[in-house]
Amino acid sequence: MLKDSNGQLHNKIIYRKKIMTVVAGCTLVFVLLFARLVYLMVWRAEHYSQLATELHERERSIKAARGRILDCNGVVLADNRTVCTISVIYNQIQDSEEVIRVLCQELALSEEYVRPKVEKYSSMERIKSNVDKEIGDRIREYDLPGVKVDEDYKRYYPYGALASKVLGFTGGDNQGIIGLEVVYEKYLQGEPGMILTMTDAKGIEVEEAGERRIEPKSGNDLCISMDRNIQTYATQLALQAMETKEADSVSIIVMNPQNGELLAMVNVPEFDLNTPYELSYEPVVEPTAEEKQELLNQMWRNGCINDTYEPGSTFKVITAAAALEEGVVTPNDSFHCPGYVVVDDRKIRCHKIAGHGSEDFVHATMNSCNPVFVTVGLRLGVENYYKYFESFGLKTKTGIDLPGEAGTIMHKMEDMGNVELATVSFGQSFQITPIQLLTTISSIVNGGNRITPHFGVRALDEQGEVVEEFTYPIQEGIVSEEVSATMRDILEMVVSEGGGVNGKVEGYRVGGKTATSQTLPRGSGRYIASFVGFAPADDPQVIAIAIINNPQGVYYGGQIAAPVIRQLFENILPYLGI
Amino acid sequence: MATTVRRTRDVQSNRMSGRARGGDHRLTRGRRKREQSEYFFDYSLLFIVLFLLGFGMIMIYSASSYAAFQSYGDAAYYLKKQALAVTLGLIAMMVVANIPYHFWERFATLGYGVSVALIFLVLTPLGIESHGARRWFRIPGVGMQIQPAEVAKLAMILFLAVMVCKMGKGVRTIKGFVLMMVMPLPVVVLIWKVTDNLSSAIIVLSIALLMVFVASPDYKKFVAMGAVAILFVSLLVVYVSRLDPSTNFRFRRIQVWLNPESDSQDKGFQTLQGLYAIGSGGVLGKGLGRSMQKLSFLPEAQNDMIFSIICEELGLFGAIAIILMFILLIWRMMIIANNASDLFGAMLVVGVIGHVAVQAILNIAVVTNSIPNTGISLPFISYGGTSVVFLLIEIGLVLSVARRIQLKEL
Repeated sequence: MLKDSNGQLHNKIIYRKKIMTVVAGCTLVFVLLFARLVYLMVWRAEHYSQLATELHERERSIKAARGRILDCNGVVLADNRTVCTISVIYNQIQDSEEVIRVLCQELALSEEYVRPKVEKYSSMERIKSNVDKEIGDRIREYDLPGVKVDEDYKRYYPYGALASKVLGFTGGDNQGIIGLEVVYEKYLQGEPGMILTMTDAKGIEVEEAGERRIEPKSGNDLCISMDRNIQTYATQLALQAMETKEADSVSIIVMNPQNGELLAMVNVPEFDLNTPYELSYEPVVEPTAEEKQELLNQMWRNGCINDTYEPGSTFKVITAAAALEEGVVTPNDSFHCPGYVVVDDRKIRCHKIAGHGSEDFVHATMNSCNPVFVTVGLRLGVENYYKYFESFGLKTKTGIDLPGEAGTIMHKMEDMGNVELATVSFGQSFQITPIQLLTTISSIVNGGNRITPHFGVRALDEQGEVVEEFTYPIQEGIVSEEVSATMRDILEMVVSEGGGVNGKVEGYRVGGKTATSQTLPRGSGRYIASFVGFAPADDPQVIAIAIINNPQGVYYGGQIAAPVIRQLFENILPYLGI
Repeated sequence: MATTVRRTRDVQSNRMSGRARGGDHRLTRGRRKREQSEYFFDYSLLFIVLFLLGFGMIMIYSASSYAAFQSYGDAAYYLKKQALAVTLGLIAMMVVANIPYHFWERFATLGYGVSVALIFLVLTPLGIESHGARRWFRIPGVGMQIQPAEVAKLAMILFLAVMVCKMGKGVRTIKGFVLMMVMPLPVVVLIWKVTDNLSSAIIVLSIALLMVFVASPDYKKFVAMGAVAILFVSLLVVYVSRLDPSTNFRFRRIQVWLNPESDSQDKGFQTLQGLYAIGSGGVLGKGLGRSMQKLSFLPEAQNDMIFSIICEELGLFGAIAIILMFILLIWRMMIIANNASDLFGAMLVVGVIGHVAVQAILNIAVVTNSIPNTGISLPFISYGGTSVVFLLIEIGLVLSVARRIQLKEL
């Protein structure tokens, strides 16, 4: 057993020293650990706090207001409507009677509808969505605990179907789907904001922790060169033509030939931009989802850009310009049309079976005489013709600021014989888009400057300050000024005395060219009637094309398409102050 | 130093009565009895322990209420269980404090045997597996679970204290030293291998080492041992840090310790979450109950990682308060050990000092990622019934030793 002994006192001192060493050692370690804590909680605090906050915060995004689309006069063509979603959070409601009373009153809802939703034990119950902003703001001002007003933006097109295929529409995330909405997405979309809320590990919101908001940044407004009045009027004319001629579709493009600014682009039938996922017509049989998507894609197509066609006689403008530029023909050169022309082993007919007889080049153009243009085309030869085809920019896309521009379908140079050259000379056996034709003719009549057709002019910020002024390339000198002037004269003659006489506008000098092309396969009886006109003929300020697809009855461009442009010019030339 | 003064005043009356009886240095049996009957109780120690327990329960509630409500629908689920264990522990403590500690001498060998037997009990159907290790067994009928490692810590303290006294001067010989070092090893290895509880094994070994250190008058051996241990650990760490962590998994625990971000989703997860909590607490803390990390981010928030929640909610201030309370606790026990009436009492208290100090140090070191992660609870504060009951029994022993202090030697 443990007994007192003489040595105990000595032992005790040793033990005491040892025990004190142990305790001092432990205290030292505690102090070191405390130092470590100071390091972690003072020097590393920011680092770990940030990591922890990232871990605890969940973000809900706030949509940014998408930029508007404005026409050249500032008329809003695409707008946002702020809509609110009103919801209640059961756990946060303090005075449910007051909540029910206010919601019934402000939202004009019945108490039978509101009460069960307010009293239902759920994390969040939606009362009503798509509520006008003013009502949402009023409800927010009551400052009722447990009532949430979430704002949202919805794209809204005030003019419905106007320029539907040009403007395009947006999808569920406010992203552009077609048209300008896609091309100018970068400017229009803005930056979404965020609501950051603290949550537990399972993502359940911690109520008392509050929330942090990062405000969204609105998108830029897009100013386009379209004039709503011209677009509206052109749409009316196109609809009228489509109805009276029972045509499949009618397209009209109006452009400033000097700089490529597009004033209107109509493709009837259009569709309502506010309901883009509904077919604009009643389908004969109920389509499957896949078929419906296909039909919708068809409905959304912009024929002026996405589709190619055989331009027909309007293309003679290009042949004439190339021949004049190359010097293989002069306006006064005389020709003889027997009603046909033989190329190699082929006999190509003129549209006037009896023939135009003797005529000079100007009259041949006025008469739209195929044999003369075949002759002129053969004078150029395949290589020269191809050279001009390329230098006029016909092989490349126009670069228009709309998505999905179709390329030119043209013979390869090495596959081109005289027969092919002959048919190309009067606008057959190859395909281009309407915008390509209009751009090329513009370039020929504006003094030889290949312009880039476009709608986008500038982007504005929320305060209306210019963010960016868009510029487009112009290729100068594709034909000489003399040739350009000659072409203007010849085309004015076409309208004043030739085949385009129906395009004549009282009091204005109008130039133009008609075309009637048979669609493939030949002999189907389907035609495309078109007319390109510009005014004033000596200094073109506006150029327009009308294309009537598969008209019934009279199908000549000069008969049915030229009057459309005439009516258009009769109205817009005074309007534009020309 | 306020506590010293207070304690001195506590015993003042005893001293007076002692003096009154004359300057006799030798103690008679009758004299001892008389002194014992004069009630002396170390209230300072009791106060520190109660403070830690109370603080711990508040923090257990704060750290666990959210998760407890999610899992059991009762925010106070863990608090209630802990309160029950604390009550039980306090009763046991008072009982032990009032039993002269020499009573336990005869149970030393038995205790050693029982703790070994209990360790094997976890392998029987009574054993309970949790968190991937069998560390508990249940007492049938009572619905209580006991962690044999906690029993072993107490048994080891008692066993070694008795052994030191029995060996007397023999402890100074190499043979005695080796014997002292070898005796605890079977228990250490069993805890480590059978219950897969490395941390408890380390604690038992540390308690034994500290007791041997105090018992033997030599320093050189220990300095040499310490130097070798430090060298070995340093070499191991350097070796592991040079291994390619993507291919070598043998020292995963150490690799994760060196760079917890490297395995932030698995092994390093708890450590990192703990660091987030500590770091985001900052100097002033987020305020009691305001921890974000306890919202199911930090696993075992009320248990091994409770210190990080204290740091998050109470900041550096709360952390220093806890550390100071632990320093105060072991300092108070040191005074008791220094003044114990005999070697057995002193060694018992040294064992308890070792237990509390090592466990608290290792816990805080793990939480602050100062050492590799291993599951160690914070004495008196972490959630855990067995741990708190046995710690309180140990405090009861210390109080019992304190009651027998011969006042004239002060």
